[in-house]
Amino acid sequence: MARQWGMVVDLDRCTGCEACVVACHAENNIATVGEDQAARGRAMHWMRVERYWEGNFPNVRVTYRPVFCQQCGDAPCESVCPTYASYHNPEGLNAQIYNRCIGTRYCGNACPYNVRFFNFYNPVWDKPLNLQLNPDVSVRSVGIMEKCTFCIQRIKVAEFRAQAEKRPLKDEEFNPACVQSCPPKAMVFGDLDDPTSEVSRLAQSNRSTRLLEEVGTLPNVIYLRSVS
Amino acid sequence: MAAHSPEKLNEDVLRPLVRTSWRFYLTGGILASIVLAALAAFIYQVYTGIGVSGLDRPVFWGFYITNFVFWIGISHAGTLISAILRLTDARWRRPVTRCAEAITVFALLIGGMFPIIHLGRPYLFFWLFPYPSERGIWPNFHSPLLWDAFAISTYLTGSSIFLYLPTIPDFALVRDKAQGWRKKFYGFLSLGWTGTPKQWHRLEMAMRIMAVVILPVAVSVHTIVSWDFAMAPVPMWHSTVFGPYFVAGAIFSGIAALIIAMAILRKAFHLEEYLTPFHFDKLGKLLLMMSLVWAYFIIAERLTVWYGNESPEMAVYWSTQQGRFTHLFWFMVICNLAVPFLILSIKQFRNTITGPVIASTTVVIGMWIERFLIIVPPLERKYLPYSWGTYRPSWVEITITAGTFAAMALLYMIFSKLVPIISVWEMKLGWQQEGEVPRAVASQAPLPQLAPRADLPAAGN
Amino acid sequence: MRAVYGLYPDPAAAERAMKRLRASGSTLGFDARHICLAASEPLDEFDLGWKDQKTPMPWLAALGGLIGGTSGYFLVSLTQRAYPLPTGNMPIVALWPTGIVVYEMTMLGAILTTFISLLVSARLPHWSKGVYDPAVSEGKILVGVVNPSQATHDELVKTLREAGAEEVKDFPSS
Repeated sequence: MARQWGMVVDLDRCTGCEACVVACHAENNIATVGEDQAARGRAMHWMRVERYWEGNFPNVRVTYRPVFCQQCGDAPCESVCPTYASYHNPEGLNAQIYNRCIGTRYCGNACPYNVRFFNFYNPVWDKPLNLQLNPDVSVRSVGIMEKCTFCIQRIKVAEFRAQAEKRPLKDEEFNPACVQSCPPKAMVFGDLDDPTSEVSRLAQSNRSTRLLEEVGTLPNVIYLRSVS
Repeated sequence: MAAHSPEKLNEDVLRPLVRTSWRFYLTGGILASIVLAALAAFIYQVYTGIGVSGLDRPVFWGFYITNFVFWIGISHAGTLISAILRLTDARWRRPVTRCAEAITVFALLIGGMFPIIHLGRPYLFFWLFPYPSERGIWPNFHSPLLWDAFAISTYLTGSSIFLYLPTIPDFALVRDKAQGWRKKFYGFLSLGWTGTPKQWHRLEMAMRIMAVVILPVAVSVHTIVSWDFAMAPVPMWHSTVFGPYFVAGAIFSGIAALIIAMAILRKAFHLEEYLTPFHFDKLGKLLLMMSLVWAYFIIAERLTVWYGNESPEMAVYWSTQQGRFTHLFWFMVICNLAVPFLILSIKQFRNTITGPVIASTTVVIGMWIERFLIIVPPLERKYLPYSWGTYRPSWVEITITAGTFAAMALLYMIFSKLVPIISVWEMKLGWQQEGEVPRAVASQAPLPQLAPRADLPAAGN
Repeated sequence: MRAVYGLYPDPAAAERAMKRLRASGSTLGFDARHICLAASEPLDEFDLGWKDQKTPMPWLAALGGLIGGTSGYFLVSLTQRAYPLPTGNMPIVALWPTGIVVYEMTMLGAILTTFISLLVSARLPHWSKGVYDPAVSEGKILVGVVNPSQATHDELVKTLREAGAEEVKDFPSS
């Protein structure tokens, strides 16, 4: 059964705590590049929390927006890849096949959200972080693009389990690491094509917006935000 | 004015092939060491990871892709210009075409390396080509990089043939004149050319067809290079003007490269009699025209962006007008418009050889900066301000860039030592068509006195 | 291949020699196909057999382009369908990208066909088999007769010399 995985992020709930960033790093074996490299703009955070200041001093309000791969329906990154490393998988995910990637970095340029990350060097983990690597996620070598996968390893496990138990997969069974670790429960993950799911119910909200919608990428991440 | 003499032409053109001065070895040695340094830098980059470049997120493309676009642009010197001049039967083209066509082949070879140099995993570059592999997967033809691979290999094949065909009779000439290993070498290259009417007729026909075919290929090549950018939804990349803008810029920088190459050849090989101020004047006029066309495109691009006033594009726009790239932008305008315009629009300056050479040098510099300004500022200012970045090239990139300029000069030098740099038979044919009866060298009859021709001022004037 | 040829100092002399050979062919036992010529430049302005040449090369180039373009289309469509992977919400075989590859392959086909048809029709490569004399590179024009009959050999030499040949030689030189 075809699905369209999607996510809803309620910006009115987000506190900017960055628990999702840490969870994502731990779950997905994302390399920590160190201070020098991070200062040069090579930090790899599949998930980042953008912080914006609104208003003038002293009436300042701070808002946050977690930004990660928007799993676009019309993804500019996919069609520019010469080796099909980036393609659209049957569940509407913007998949990145590491083995096919030769590192043209064209997808990173084409992505309007700058949520694709490049391994400028082979990854290293400072001790004891090297002991916490997730065995379900491959480690990426130098010269390869990577990005948020919606924790596809968790999706697959849940799907296989449901298949083995001969029952339909339920959205509540599992969550990507960021959703799971969000203290204010600002994020909801699920099947956007299933009208009964929590995520598609929230997507209908009158607070729903999509990031850079005008670029025409048809993102599958929906941000909820009340207009003040 | 001395009458044109085929024997002197033979001698002048063949002299560089056999006689080599110490200056050649010295220059060649210096250039080769720069190329070796670049090679070492590249090996270091492959070994350590592309992190040794200055690239970062979001500026995933920098110097390497700038060089790629720049060299592919330079490659439009030859085949395109030579094909246009052949098709319009511009008589003055004859001493120019070979120098131009050679630039094309070498610039393409160099430019074509950059998509491989810049890869994260350069040892897997062949995955870009369609071949049946054990992986069962084929490349993605939706990707502009695939179009590049096809366009550039077509253009390289075409322009190599376009360079080779009219050289065959000249190889035969060298074969007849040479001794030792050269006789064998040129005998091989000349394919046993004897110069029967049939051979000449087929050769001229093939060149006519090639000139017609290679023109649209050349236009398509730089259009497709521009589409590497225009296809991506990046502010100020995603523009319909890019195709013609890049083609015009390519021809512009190509003419400049040609003028510089001709001036060096003229000096180094004493070809003053054949590459005359007249040719520099003609090419100078072409360069001036392309400078104005370039300015027109810059205005068309900038004005529509400024007037449209879309915020993502304006962020890029302002970074080149009132941001960190302002100085570079105006320096580019001086190089590409102000200097060429001042020098080339005034006859007294254009008619010297120094004038066009100065203008061409600034144009080559300016066009390199232009490619840089097309690629880097939009990537630095892409939509969400939170992820804006900056780019600063590393020594690895600078070394490799310098290495390609040295490689171009070195390849061209070696070429000029192996191949007659002026198409001898086409020169002779030109004289014949203008009513000068070709004569054999051994015929001792005095050469006919010719009236000075209006279109060709005497050498060294 | 044997031949007897004269070396002529200029195209006008070669033209004269050509005329004489054509006229005397029947008496000396050869016809116009046996006359050979070599020059270091195309002598378009003279009646030496350049003008009346016909060749299907442009049509061959067009055919080559057609073949190139067709194979380009099949390359794209068959390979994309062999392992169909959707990208960017585009069709598996998309019109515009396919068109670009077809265009380039058309041009490549035309270029290669032109090159090959030149080689085939000009009989190249033809290393050291053709009637030739290195003096051609000095501007001499070679006019001669291929495979002359031994009986008329001396007569032929005389004819070539009378037409203004500076030298008359046998090929291959013995």
